[in-house]
Amino acid sequence: MSSNLPLEVVDLTKKYGSFKAVDAVSFHINPGEIFGLLGPNGAGKTSIISTIVTLEEPTEGEVKVFGNNVRKSKHSKYELGFVPQEIINHGFFSVEEILQFHSGYYGVKNNQERIEYLLDKLGLFEHKDKKVKQLSGGMKRRLLIAKALVHKPKLLLLDEPTAGVDIELRESLWSFVSELRKEEGLSILLTTHYLEEAEQLCDRIGFLSRGRLIKTGPTKELIEGQTNRFMSIVLKPGTSVECSHDFFIEKKADVLTFKLPYQYPVGELLACTSLKLEQIQDIKIREGSLDDVFRQVVGGGVL
Amino acid sequence: MNAELRFRPFFSLTRREIKRFLKVIVQTIVAPLINSSLYLLIFGVSLGRNIDLQSGQNYLVFLLPGLIMMGCLNNSFANTSSSIVGSKFAGELEDYKVVTLNPWQILLALSTGGVMRGLMVGFLTLLVGEGFIYYEVGHFVMPENPLILLYFLFVGGLCFASLGVSVAFWAKNFDQMSAVGSFVILPLIYLGGVFYSIDTLPPFWRSVSEFNPILYFINGVRYGFIGESDVPILTATILSVVMLSIFFSISFFVLKKSNFKRW
Repeated sequence: MSSNLPLEVVDLTKKYGSFKAVDAVSFHINPGEIFGLLGPNGAGKTSIISTIVTLEEPTEGEVKVFGNNVRKSKHSKYELGFVPQEIINHGFFSVEEILQFHSGYYGVKNNQERIEYLLDKLGLFEHKDKKVKQLSGGMKRRLLIAKALVHKPKLLLLDEPTAGVDIELRESLWSFVSELRKEEGLSILLTTHYLEEAEQLCDRIGFLSRGRLIKTGPTKELIEGQTNRFMSIVLKPGTSVECSHDFFIEKKADVLTFKLPYQYPVGELLACTSLKLEQIQDIKIREGSLDDVFRQVVGGGVL
Repeated sequence: MNAELRFRPFFSLTRREIKRFLKVIVQTIVAPLINSSLYLLIFGVSLGRNIDLQSGQNYLVFLLPGLIMMGCLNNSFANTSSSIVGSKFAGELEDYKVVTLNPWQILLALSTGGVMRGLMVGFLTLLVGEGFIYYEVGHFVMPENPLILLYFLFVGGLCFASLGVSVAFWAKNFDQMSAVGSFVILPLIYLGGVFYSIDTLPPFWRSVSEFNPILYFINGVRYGFIGESDVPILTATILSVVMLSIFFSISFFVLKKSNFKRW
């Protein structure tokens, strides 16, 4: 495995007393990739992210950012941007001051252009003189994202960044992150409770359960490998058809249901069933979702 | 690594710390100043007229350097401890761990912010005290050894600022925080010779007082202001350096072992 990967987590274990929050977890993120870490509450997502950003020390294993061990090399910190799950209140300081201080913490001088770009893109420009307590919940989240991006990191860690954020804002946020991904080659580790969001955004997914990474893979492959594709043919009233195709499951009233492999052509199935087009009222196809995969892989845990 | 990357994080945090207390200047500078002014009025002007010191020194002139140092020590400690506790509460402390600041930079930046507030309070107490002295004695009293005065104010302030860092990082709740302030810091300051000369104490209590590290800082400042001290100035200077090393070492150790997590 190349040592220049944005993130490598190798056999990471984190114990709190006798409780194993993270159990020998290994995964990596490829350059420019969005990797989604999904799991129920208490699965170990935040513990993993906290270890990556050095808030927690690993009990065993190691974390490398662009080849540098995060515990040994300060350099990895320059490459990392971190959006925590919980809101941070900066007391007496305005949004702009917070971003100026944060730039300084990364050794960035005269960063006003970048700060104004982020304020503008994240819809915070007109609120730049406000204090955190004067911002709405969504604005506070966007401020966390601006802070994480102020030093132009190459790897962004997003720990449930859209919790409590409305749909419109979520979409604008993700379009901005996609833009950054294209323009700045950002790689992203995302934890979220919105599976639909993860399905749309993530190139690869890792499922965590009770501290163990139980399944990883490209999002599309996971969905296709773990779920089924159902096709329902609604017949015109009074149509009488007998069906004995391999993929046929059942007939209820005027609806024939088939379970198809993902790559199987629908036309071929129609040809095999010897149904005539004039007998068909409607055709509905339901493909599996990440939600289905989650239920299968992780079980009935609370997301 | 270039100098910009190396030092800017420290300067940014220092700037943040100074801006923080200036934003609430009534609470951080004006209130302690009123406190010192009341001490000057009650003890210096009112009661002081009935106190005759063995040295023949006017009590108000004797008291002022003690109050300057008390204001400096109290506010240096208060600045770092309240800043850290506030940051723990708000979750901001996690930022310090995630960014490129190292423990030394954090300790030095927080301590510099603390000592700046302590020096401001000390300097303003000096100005107010001079006003009282002029009113009582009829002329201003210029510091005898301004550099020595500044040295003890600065080193003492740094010690207490770093003490504030270690206590605030160590504390698990507000109770622990205020317990240290009320049961350790305050008695040490009050019994450190702010209001009296330890020469007036019985031998046993005088010997006990000599174990109080604050005695040496207060007498260092008093020597800088009026040229008198209960302890040899060389001893006070050497001990100030020793204490600075001890306080900073403890703070660094506590900071390195701390988890920076929010309360």
